[in-house]
Amino acid sequence: MAILKKKTKVSDKIPTSSMADIAFLLLIFFLVTTVFDEEIGLQVVLPERGPEAEQEVSPKNLLFYLVQPDGSVIVRRGESPGEQRITGRQVEGVMRQALADNPNVIGVVQTHPQARYEHMIAVLDGIQSAGATRFSLQLLEG
Amino acid sequence: MPMQGGFKRKSKVASEIPDSSLADIAFLLLIFFMVTTVFRKESPREIEQPEAAATQQVDEKRKNILHLWVERNGQVFINDALVPMDAISGLTQQLYEETDRQLVVAIRSDREVPYGTINQITEELRDGGALRVNFATNFEERVGAARR
Repeated sequence: MAILKKKTKVSDKIPTSSMADIAFLLLIFFLVTTVFDEEIGLQVVLPERGPEAEQEVSPKNLLFYLVQPDGSVIVRRGESPGEQRITGRQVEGVMRQALADNPNVIGVVQTHPQARYEHMIAVLDGIQSAGATRFSLQLLEG
Repeated sequence: MPMQGGFKRKSKVASEIPDSSLADIAFLLLIFFMVTTVFRKESPREIEQPEAAATQQVDEKRKNILHLWVERNGQVFINDALVPMDAISGLTQQLYEETDRQLVVAIRSDREVPYGTINQITEELRDGGALRVNFATNFEERVGAARR
């Protein structure tokens, strides 16, 4: 057959030069939009069950924080009968002062069952902010 | 520009940077990140966490952290399932042994939950032997307070 094969001017190749741009664009998009869920909070190690975990502590080393249902905090020192009513914000200052006076002091947080969780966290935050590592979390009876 | 009396010699080395493999590199990176990304298994809950200035990052592998969600009405959820209070100790004890005693229980509780509920949970965790607890809080910027 005498028909000449005509060369087409349209390129038969898929243009791949922009492929890298597309891929990088996707990459950057996902890098930017990814939100990492980091685990943050106040860390506590609970006491073990059993009699061997119990320790005798001198009452003079105890500093009680009685968290009331309304969020106020009553501070009571181990041996003295005196009480002091403070807010959750003032716990850090009180705890710093107590640690300066007696480095062995233990903060005892006694929270009323009807008090909100955030009130307990405020006191725990104050204690940890003051740099205290020894504390106890308890339920306020009565 | 004409060179003085000489011929311009054509270099045999390609003057262009080879970019045909660029797409492969980019897709490789893309696939790498797609494969290594771990999505959160749990659906987010309507919880308003309390704030604390002493908030710190938990130094534990992600797979060893168990989220325990406490909603405002006091209901406890683990892995999107409602868990009755007295089942927490059994569940955490099992996970505690599976994680080689490295388990950290992150309590993600709403700020308005009464403390009595939280205390019940921590007592259950003690029964189960899972003693490392993280009270999940949001970082609070306090004026005048130095960040540790």
